[in-house]
Amino acid sequence: MTTNKQSFGWILERVVFYLIIVAIVIFTLFPFYWALNSSFKSEQELFEPATYLPQQFTTISYQGVFSNGNFMQALFNSAWVSGATVLLSLVVGAFAAYALGRLQFKGRRGMMYVVLAMTMFPQISILSGLFTIVREIGVYGSPLSLILTYPIFTLPFTVWVLTSFFKGLPDEIEQAALVDGASNFQTFYRIMLPLTAPALVTTGLLAFIAAWNEYLYALTFTLTTPTSQTVPVAIAQFNGTVMRQEPIAEVMAAAMVVTLPLIVLVLIFQKRIVEGLTAGAVKG
Amino acid sequence: MAVTRTLTQSDEIPASYGIGTTAIALLLLLIAVSALGLYAQSILSIPEIQQGINGEISLILAFLNNVGIIVPLLVVLLGLFFIITGVNMLRGSADAIRWGATIVFWLTVGAIGVGVFTFFQQSAGNAIFDIETDYGRGASAALPLLLFAIPVGAASWWMSRHDSFVNRGQTLSGRNTRMAWNLLIPTIVILIIVAARPLEETFITSLTDKRFGSADPVSFVGLDNYIQLLSFRIDTVSCRLADDGSCAVDASGNTRWELIARDLMTAGYRPLASIPIAADRAITISGTDGDFLQSIGNTIYFTISSVSLELLLGLFIAIVVNSKFKGRGLMRAVMLVPWAIPTVVSARLWELMLRDNQSGIINKVMLDLGMIGSSQAWLTNPNLQLNALIMVDVWKTTPFMALLLLAGLQLIPADLYEAAAVDGANRWRQFTSITLPLLRPVIGIALIFRTLDALRVFDVFNVLLQRQKLSMATYNYEVLIQEQQGGYASAVSVIIFVLISVFTLLYMRSVRIESQ
Repeated sequence: MTTNKQSFGWILERVVFYLIIVAIVIFTLFPFYWALNSSFKSEQELFEPATYLPQQFTTISYQGVFSNGNFMQALFNSAWVSGATVLLSLVVGAFAAYALGRLQFKGRRGMMYVVLAMTMFPQISILSGLFTIVREIGVYGSPLSLILTYPIFTLPFTVWVLTSFFKGLPDEIEQAALVDGASNFQTFYRIMLPLTAPALVTTGLLAFIAAWNEYLYALTFTLTTPTSQTVPVAIAQFNGTVMRQEPIAEVMAAAMVVTLPLIVLVLIFQKRIVEGLTAGAVKG
Repeated sequence: MAVTRTLTQSDEIPASYGIGTTAIALLLLLIAVSALGLYAQSILSIPEIQQGINGEISLILAFLNNVGIIVPLLVVLLGLFFIITGVNMLRGSADAIRWGATIVFWLTVGAIGVGVFTFFQQSAGNAIFDIETDYGRGASAALPLLLFAIPVGAASWWMSRHDSFVNRGQTLSGRNTRMAWNLLIPTIVILIIVAARPLEETFITSLTDKRFGSADPVSFVGLDNYIQLLSFRIDTVSCRLADDGSCAVDASGNTRWELIARDLMTAGYRPLASIPIAADRAITISGTDGDFLQSIGNTIYFTISSVSLELLLGLFIAIVVNSKFKGRGLMRAVMLVPWAIPTVVSARLWELMLRDNQSGIINKVMLDLGMIGSSQAWLTNPNLQLNALIMVDVWKTTPFMALLLLAGLQLIPADLYEAAAVDGANRWRQFTSITLPLLRPVIGIALIFRTLDALRVFDVFNVLLQRQKLSMATYNYEVLIQEQQGGYASAVSVIIFVLISVFTLLYMRSVRIESQ
């Protein structure tokens, strides 16, 4: 009798538990599903009471998105800006991280504090100063202005995460290399750098996502030059060029196009991303 | 353990080595002296500086406004460093020769880098200013830099050829220090360009009345911008009287209050909010820049509500996901989806979901469930706008919060719970006496993290509310870009910077950098 009761309680607990899990999944994924759903509806259908499935399934919005020259240009700009930002941050960041993680020198602690403070740097608070400098250098309105300014949020983070990774590598490898007569720099790029490949992938991915999603600087520096705009600006400004009405189904299709690559990346590198995100925050 | 690649002591240093280092030392001295001279000359040729020297305007302010502090300081320090290194190289100091090698290497890299950048930047056409692409223009702009790269490049090449003499007899710590600074130079240069210089520019501009796209001379206004932004006062007002002598009420039944005194209105004060303290009296808060004070209020309300909701929900989700069940890995991947979606995309998406009729799914679901009586205008009703944004933010960042807390939960050893269970503690006791205390540092860091993020909120406000309600960041953007008021916008930036710095300091105190 008692065992029966226990197992009944156990089953009830499991059922409630899985109901909670399902609720969390719905909470998390529903808006994403809604964008997908809406992107396959026609513009007219979006003005009727909402339905959970498209009544007339159509891919016309996707055709619209892919034949939209401005949007395709924005996709290209985003890919080039984010790619260049990642490359720049990884190369420069790996150098700095090796110095901070493996070498003993005067001023190391001070530099660590600078880097940590920079990871929290409020981008918005230098907007007007950066606006002036971007115009002085002469890159205002070009994608270069973004490649030049994005390191402010990708670089300190990259340095911080890579530093803790370098610190975790065993000393023996490095000493063996030095005994074998390798120079400091050779030890760095022949031996230590390949060992950090996993961390490079993680931080590169996080930097890519941050640059791909950035909106404030992109809007400020490319507001007047549509050919230099990145995807977030294009989506925020996505207004019907032909039709007066805002093509909301097309916006949703565009949203899917820019988000799907990120979702795929996130699903593949899920474990690494979580590690990277929590490395700075939890372990310190 | 000084493991360095040195020559054996018997190796003879050839006379040519001495001649080479002397030549490079002289080159360094020449570069330093001419750079300092050219820089001084370029400063003196600025019209405003000349006016300052003639006593027409304040020299210090003209200097700050035109050259700032960081760049001249860097030029002077580097110039002195080059000169000292050059002199010591002439004296034959081995350490100075090593630093000399470092200097000529970075001068080469810098000259080539800036040269290539100048070439492309000057060549590129510009649609706004109607300039066509012209590689000749780029080449002539970049030529001086590339010419400069030739002698320093040759010096650097010679130094690396004589590597073994240069590095002779250096200590391990000396070698590490030089290597470390070499590796840090690119990061330092980038941080100066994208952070230190803009910050300096923002601080200095905030003391001026600068406007973009205006030919008017810039003048210093001291703290006027800040006073205009932050001035506020609190007055008591009485209610407006209706014809029968009682307090008048408006259409929605709220008491109507008198305005603040006329002379205050003339002085620029505009009422922001009235809080009733009695049936016929209220406190009115008024400020000289109502929009900014309102944006601070909006941001604080948004921050406190969204962060506390995210913490509660995030903690709940983290604890659920922390228990063992099938598909836990998948669950973690699912939780990353809202985080990965660009904020702008999620804002557009919620714009559709929050539509003010039944084509908006939120209204439809809530109507179907009987939670609301009629469709709500989430994004245009002033009473609902901020709550709608909080909903969007909670959806987007709660999973991230949960992942941070989950990482913290996994550090708590399982045997603590087993021991507690043996002692007869129920789940709630286990939660309050084990989970919460051990998770507190992680909760603290997650809270600071999210607070910092929420305080600088821009994307959702800009996309969903445009100018209807402002956050501090969208206010700053409006003043800077739409109104082109450089000085005033900079003052807003500085206030945000100070506010966020306080939280950054809190964060840095909670993340210790070990002394090693």
